[in-house]
Amino acid sequence: MTRTRSPLLLVAALLAPAIAGLVVFRLYPIALAVSDSFFNMVRGHQVFVGVGNYLSLIADSAFWKSLQVTFWFNLLINPIQIALSLGLALLYVQKFRGIALYRFLFLIPIGVSLPVAVIIWRIMLSQDGLVNGLIGIAGIPAQPWLTSESFALYSIIAIATWKGISYWMIFIIGGLQNISTEIYEAARLDGAVAWQRLWHITIPLLRPTLLFVLVADVSINFLLFAPIFMLTQGGPADSTNVLMYEAYKSGFVFGDMGRAMAIIVVVVLILLVIVGLQFRLLNGKQEKK
Amino acid sequence: MARPLRRGISFGLRHIGYIAVAFIFVLPLWWAIVSSLRPNMEVFADIFPFTPKALLPVPFSLQAYEGVFQRGFGQIIANTMLVAMITMIAGLFVNGLAGFAFAVFDFKGKNAILTLIIISFMLPFEAIALPLYTVTLQLGWLDNIAALIVPSVANGLAVFLFYQFFKEVPKDYLEAARLDGANWLDVLRHVYVPLSIPTLISAGLLLFVFQWEAFLWPLLAMPSQQFKVIQVGMAAFQQQYQTIWNQLFAVAVITALIPIALLMPLQRYYVQGLAGAGLKG
Amino acid sequence: MKGANVKTVKLSILAGLVASFFAGTALAQDKTLNMIVIEGGDTTAMQAVVDAYKASHPGIAINLQSYPFAQFFQVAELRLRSADAGIDLVYVDAPLMASYASRGFLSPIDPGIDTSSLVPSALDAGKYDGKQYALPINNSAQVMFYNKTLFEKAGITPPTGLTAGQTSTQGDVDKLASTERWTWEQVADAAQKLTVKDGGRTTTYGFSVEQFAELYQLQPFGESLGTDVIGPDGYTAKGYLDSEAWTKAATYWSELYSSGVSPKGLGYGEGAQLFGNGQLAMFAGGTWNLPILAATGVDFGVAPYPYFAGGKVLTPTGSWYVGVNVASANQTEAMDFASYLTTNAEGTKVWFDALQQLPTYKPLLDTISTSADFDVFPKNVFRLGVYDSLNTAKARPVTAAYGQLQDAFRTAFTDISNGVAVSEALKSAVQKFETAANRVAK
Repeated sequence: MTRTRSPLLLVAALLAPAIAGLVVFRLYPIALAVSDSFFNMVRGHQVFVGVGNYLSLIADSAFWKSLQVTFWFNLLINPIQIALSLGLALLYVQKFRGIALYRFLFLIPIGVSLPVAVIIWRIMLSQDGLVNGLIGIAGIPAQPWLTSESFALYSIIAIATWKGISYWMIFIIGGLQNISTEIYEAARLDGAVAWQRLWHITIPLLRPTLLFVLVADVSINFLLFAPIFMLTQGGPADSTNVLMYEAYKSGFVFGDMGRAMAIIVVVVLILLVIVGLQFRLLNGKQEKK
Repeated sequence: MARPLRRGISFGLRHIGYIAVAFIFVLPLWWAIVSSLRPNMEVFADIFPFTPKALLPVPFSLQAYEGVFQRGFGQIIANTMLVAMITMIAGLFVNGLAGFAFAVFDFKGKNAILTLIIISFMLPFEAIALPLYTVTLQLGWLDNIAALIVPSVANGLAVFLFYQFFKEVPKDYLEAARLDGANWLDVLRHVYVPLSIPTLISAGLLLFVFQWEAFLWPLLAMPSQQFKVIQVGMAAFQQQYQTIWNQLFAVAVITALIPIALLMPLQRYYVQGLAGAGLKG
Repeated sequence: MKGANVKTVKLSILAGLVASFFAGTALAQDKTLNMIVIEGGDTTAMQAVVDAYKASHPGIAINLQSYPFAQFFQVAELRLRSADAGIDLVYVDAPLMASYASRGFLSPIDPGIDTSSLVPSALDAGKYDGKQYALPINNSAQVMFYNKTLFEKAGITPPTGLTAGQTSTQGDVDKLASTERWTWEQVADAAQKLTVKDGGRTTTYGFSVEQFAELYQLQPFGESLGTDVIGPDGYTAKGYLDSEAWTKAATYWSELYSSGVSPKGLGYGEGAQLFGNGQLAMFAGGTWNLPILAATGVDFGVAPYPYFAGGKVLTPTGSWYVGVNVASANQTEAMDFASYLTTNAEGTKVWFDALQQLPTYKPLLDTISTSADFDVFPKNVFRLGVYDSLNTAKARPVTAAYGQLQDAFRTAFTDISNGVAVSEALKSAVQKFETAANRVAK
C-alpha cells in the first residue's frame, strides 16, 4: 500500500509496555492455567492425564446440557444488548430541553457494580417483591421470575442487560461522533426517512465500533456467571447452568481444577471461532479501503 | 393552530418515551436509595409483601450514611479513586501506544500478536487468579498497591479498542502530516488524539470501571486488608449471620453516582449531537 | 515516543512510592504468625483472643487477615492451593476439613496437645483418615424461634419453649428438650394455620428454615428418619440420598413450598429479617440470631429443633475449626496458638465472651449448665445448645467430596422447592454427586 516502511524499532517501543504487561500478568498465567487441564487431583496428588479431561467431557452429559444453555443464553443476550445499547445511544445523543436529566438517568447502571445490581434485582424479583407488586397493581398475577425453569434464564438476561447497556452505549456514542452530519443531510434531501438513514448510513458507518462492542460483549457474556452464581446456582433443573458456572463449581467448590480448565479451554476455543467470524463479517469490506 | 398542537403531541410522546426508558434504569436504584434511608430492620418492612410505601423512605433515617462513614468508607472510596485513576491514566498511554502501532504500521507477526491480545481478555479472571497470585507473590508485591495497579494497566480490550478506532482515521491525514515533516509521535499527538477524544473517553471508562468493580483480585492481592477498595469494603456488609442492608445500599448509591459525576462533564467531548466535528474535516 | 514513555515511567515510580507508603507498617517481632479469618464478629473475637495470648507470649505477634464471609472459601482455597507460606493458621469450616486434609493443605495436629477437654463429637469431626487435622473452636446449635403474638392471633398453642422473663435450670431445659420437642408434623400443621394470605399475597408465613436448602440445616431431616445422606465411604449416595427416608423428608420439604407456608429462596439473613418484622411465625435457625432478634420488638420464644414423628431426634452441629497450614514456617508457634484458642481455659473463655457461640470446651459447657448467669432468658438458650450438643448432635459426613455433596444437595432441595418432582430431583442429585465425587476419589 502507500505506507512507508515501518520503523521496527519504533513499533517495538510502542508495543513493549502493553505486551510486557499482558505477557506477565495475563498470557503467562493463562498458559499455567491451561496446563492445569492436563492434570487431575486424585486423593491429594497431581496426576498427569494428558487429554483425559477433554475426553471425559465428551461423555459428560452435564457438560453437553450446559453447552446448550450457554449457546442459547448468548444467542439471546448479545443481539439484545447490542440493539438496545444502539437504541439507547440514539436517544442519548438527541438534543432538546431536559435531555441532560435523561442522560444522567441513563448512566446510572454504569457505577452500580454487578454484584450490587444482582442483589437489588434479586429482592425486586422475589415472589413477594417489588416487580410482582407493581404488576399486581395492573392485575397481573405474581410470576416466579427466578424460580421457574421457564423464566430464570430470561430474568438473568434482563438483569445483565440492565447492567450492561449503558456501558456499551458510551462506546457506541463514541462511534457515532465519527459519522459526519453532511451524510445525513444529503440522505434527508434524498428523502430517506429515519429508519432508512439508520439502516443505510448509521449502522454501516458504525461498523468498526459495532465490531469492537460485539467482540467485547460476546467475550464478557460467554464468561458471565456471577449473576447465576448469586441468583440461581445453575437451577432450576440446570436451566441456567452455563459452562462458566459449571467450570467455577468444578474448580473452586469441588477442587477439580483439571475439569474446570478443560471446560474453560473449550469456552475460549468457541469464543475464538465466534470472534473470527465476527471479524470476517464486519471487517471484510474495510480491507479494500 | 395545528402546528403548535402537533408540536405539543410530539413533545409529549417524546417525553413519555424517555420517561419509560429512564424509569427502568432508575427503579432499582430508587429502591436502593429509599432503603438506604431507612433503619436496617425496616428495609423489608413494606416489600414483603409489596406496598407502594416501599418506594418512600419511611421511617426516614440517616443511620446508614453515618454508619458507612464511621466504617471509613471515605478512605475506601479515596483508595479506589486513586487506584482507578492511576490505572486509567497509565492505561491510556500504554494501550493507546500499542493500538496506534497496530493501526498505523504493518509488521511481521502482527496478526499473531493481535490474536494473543484478544485471547488475553477471553479467560475469566477466576481461571487465572491462582497463577497471577503466584506471580505477584514472587514479585513481592502482595499488600503493595502496585499489585492492584500494574497488572491492570495493560488491557487487551483497551488495545483492541484503540486499534479499531485509530484504524478509521483516514490515512491522508497521516501522510499529510508526515510530508510536513512531523515525526510519528507528533502524528499521534496532533492528528490521532484530537480526532479520538470520544475513544479516549471510552477507553478511560473501560479502565476505570474495571478497577471500580474489581473484587476478587484486591481481596487476594492485599491479604492484610490495610488498603481496601470499594467492592471489598462492601462485601463486609453481608456477614455470616446477617446483612446490613441499609449500609450496603448507601454505599451502592454513593458509588453509582461517582462515575456519573466524572462522565457528565465530559459530555461536550463525546456527545456533540450528530453534528460532531468528527472526521468532517 | 520518549515523552510518552518517560511519563509512563514517572507514573510507575509514583505508583511505587505510594505503594511503599502503604506497605511496611509492620514492626519487627520475634515471630509473626498470619491467620485467615472471617470478617466481622469472628475477627473481633479472634483479635480479643490474640490480645490475651500476646500478654503471656510477648515474642509472638499474630496478624489477622480477614475476608468477607461470601468470599472466604474461595480465597482460602486459592491461597492454600498456591502453598502460600504467608498463612500460618487457617480458619476451617467443619465440612471442608476433609477436603483440605486430603489435599495436604493442613499439618496433623501435634499429638502433644491435650484434647481430652473437648466434646468428643466435635473433636471427631476434625479427623480425617484417623488423624486429627483441626481443632474445634466452637460449636453451633439450631433452635426454633416462634412468634408468640402470631400464635395467639391464630388461636393455637405454641410449642413449649424458653421465653422472656423466665428462668430455667439445666435440668428444666433437659426435660423440655427430651420430652416436649415438637415434631415436624406439628410444625407443618401449625404453619398451615399461621400463614395469612391477603388477596393472593402472603402477608405472614408460617415457617421457614434459616439456611434455605442447605445440607447443614436439613441433614437431620432424612437422617432422623434413619438413613444417612451418603454412605460411610464418603462417595456413595445411591441408596442413601434417594432412600425411602430421604424421599419422605424431601416430600415434607416440597409441601412446605407447594402449600405456601414457607417463603421460597430466602438468602442468608433474610429469614431473620422476616421474623424480626413479624412476618414469619416460626423460624428454625442458629442461636446466633438471638442478639439480632432481641433487638427487635418481636415477642418470641425459643423451642428445641424439631424431629420427625417416629424418628430419632437429631440436630445440626459443627462450626469452625482451626488448622495449621502445611506451608507455614512456624509450625510450633502456630500449634501453640491453636491449642490456646481451643483447649485453654483462658483462650476459650475470651472467645466465648466475645462471640457467644456454643463452646466445645467441656469445662465451659459445665459453667453454662451450672452458673446462675445462664438461668435467665435469653442466656438459658445456651443450655438447650448444651443438651443438644451432648445428646442429639449429628455431625456432617466426613468426605473429601463435601463441596460436591453440598452443591448437589442444595440444587436438589432448591429444585424441589420450585416444584421439581422429589424422586427426579433426588435421582439427579445422586448422579451428580457420584460423578463429581468419583473424579477426585477414584
